[in-house]
Amino acid sequence: MSVLVTGSAIRGLPVVTIRGGEDVAEVRDVIYSPEAGRIVGLTLNKRGFLAGRRREVLSAETIHAIGPDAVMIEDESSLILPENSPAGLGTPPSGRDVTGNEVLTEAGASLGQVRDIVVLVGSTGTVVGYEIDAAAGGTGYIPLPKQLAVSGSALVVPDATKEFIEDNLVGLAAAVDKFRSEAESR
Amino acid sequence: MSERFAAASERKVISRTSAEELGTLAHIVVDVKRRQIASLVVGKGRKALLIAWEQVSGFGPDAIMIADDTALQEPRDDGEQAAADGKLELIGKRALSDSGNDLGNVTDVVFDPDTGAIQSILVDDREYPAVSLLGAGSFAVIVREPAE
Repeated sequence: MSVLVTGSAIRGLPVVTIRGGEDVAEVRDVIYSPEAGRIVGLTLNKRGFLAGRRREVLSAETIHAIGPDAVMIEDESSLILPENSPAGLGTPPSGRDVTGNEVLTEAGASLGQVRDIVVLVGSTGTVVGYEIDAAAGGTGYIPLPKQLAVSGSALVVPDATKEFIEDNLVGLAAAVDKFRSEAESR
Repeated sequence: MSERFAAASERKVISRTSAEELGTLAHIVVDVKRRQIASLVVGKGRKALLIAWEQVSGFGPDAIMIADDTALQEPRDDGEQAAADGKLELIGKRALSDSGNDLGNVTDVVFDPDTGAIQSILVDDREYPAVSLLGAGSFAVIVREPAE
């Protein structure tokens, strides 16, 4: 079964080369494209306590896998300067931060507010859901369809999403597969 | 034939010409690409000296035989110095899968004492065949996880 992690769990993970076995950086922040439904890249810190920021970034295309314990890359040539990176990673457009956005169903009901993204482990940054402050109270996890409408302040999800709100990541992993297969058969 | 790193640790290193003990085995350096022992680090007092695997004349159950002490070299570059300092030691190192899972720590390495070929690697006593070894460095050993 799929394993999921939140965006905040990715921050601070070591970035490790597969061939070299070295920890070349650690994740500073996650750059996410809500339209594409995926992580476009990662910004980096140097390794070590209070070591500070690294200028280079990591494009999702050169990430081998985002795991629960490390982000794996082939070798250090994957680290690129922001000016050489794909648009949207070097200078991410403002207003792309989805945290705090309201989640509305197509019928106009609010499910809550986005707190974090939920990423498929072992992938190169596929975002399959959101962690939300549920309108009904507490933390909720909702699956995302492959396409959805987003603005700077809200996103619109299918009505069926409310039947798939889970209170933990394990439940969400099962819900994502079911939700996406149902959405496709409609 | 197979032998294990942990069992071979501190085995005495003997000169074939003088029968003198030249030191004890401190570390084994592995060429991950070739899945083969590259060299041995021999501890001699407070010094750590290297000998290429090709110059080891016999890796026996009780002693490691080499020609004489001129075969033992001081570290010549940063890579050799790191090896001599034990930074490339596989045992005790964290093992990561290529999908970013922490698999545990390397507990032992199994090899052929005749050829120096690595046969398998043990991570928390789970055995991974040598072909699954992808890389190794000062931070971690990278292992391909078998498909479930």
